[in-house]
Amino acid sequence: MNKKKLIAGIILFGSLWGFSETIIGSYINDYGMPSGAIMTGIFAIGFMMISRLLYKQRGMQIGMGLVAGTLRLFNPFVGCFICSAFAIMAEGLIFELLWYKLSLDLKELKPMSMKLSMGIISGYICFTGGFIVTQILTPIVSSAGFHIQNLIVFLPQILSRGLLAAIISGIALPTIFILKNIDISKIKDRVYYPTTATITIFCWVAVILNTIIMIS
Amino acid sequence: MPMGKEKLIPFIAIAIIILGASANAYVYINQKDATCITINEQDYTINQLFSLTIPREFKELEFSGIALDALINKVGIAYPESKDYTIIGNDGYQKTVKWENLQNGLLTEDGMVVFSDLPKAFRVKNIVEIGVVLNE
Repeated sequence: MNKKKLIAGIILFGSLWGFSETIIGSYINDYGMPSGAIMTGIFAIGFMMISRLLYKQRGMQIGMGLVAGTLRLFNPFVGCFICSAFAIMAEGLIFELLWYKLSLDLKELKPMSMKLSMGIISGYICFTGGFIVTQILTPIVSSAGFHIQNLIVFLPQILSRGLLAAIISGIALPTIFILKNIDISKIKDRVYYPTTATITIFCWVAVILNTIIMIS
Repeated sequence: MPMGKEKLIPFIAIAIIILGASANAYVYINQKDATCITINEQDYTINQLFSLTIPREFKELEFSGIALDALINKVGIAYPESKDYTIIGNDGYQKTVKWENLQNGLLTEDGMVVFSDLPKAFRVKNIVEIGVVLNE
């Protein structure tokens, strides 16, 4: 895989993920729905899985998490933006670790039961892991400081809320496998780069405009 | 003989479903009633607390309620600046804050604690207790 193409892919999928967290996540939040589980189960796992299938490269999802987390920091008006940014970055890292031992062509996941199981595992571990990371890092960067007992007593809630993310991701991941046969390296450069650049710019401009509108 | 991926992965997925379902049951059973708020081992209703102390408003955040530092003073906690305060919600969510944070905090009429100097993660809904802990 051409390195330039891979970097464009990381920025594209990271931006799509950050855009979804900021814009779509805020609507889900406004309707009082469990936005965290939905965002992780559908969008985070969805974009990371699509990029895994299309690019077949290790390390890509960590980069996507960094891009998406950075974009999330640009909109401080929806939810706890520092917490979300930490959670997104942690989810990218956790996903990468979970999928590290699987082959790049994902031949182990041919049976439906394996796709379903990896969906459940990824959704649950990414959600609960991201939640725990944010419960540690957010107090550390604030003036109140981190107190371990606050995390320990809340662990049952975190483990409980992860179930919805696991179920959603268990359904989403097998669906995403429809894209398995698309070969990104065969897409011509004159189509690939303008398309990735346009979508990436759209995501960033939309989030920044959204912030400016909220300020004014 | 070590378990292959084709057995291990579904096994972990089933274990996760069982863990999540058990945690759900645990949380449901241990949910606390948020009709009273305990401060320094004394129970108060939200109306009693609102009659005790002065109002505070965060215009930019669009929140209003009563000042948390004034409330702590009113309930008779000695040397409040030398202590930390653990705000506990009915779902078990809790956050420990310093006296300086309480000076920038308020309690809303629907039982939510908001701090103007802390991230939104420190907002605790449906609070059931404000625990006083000695500052180490």
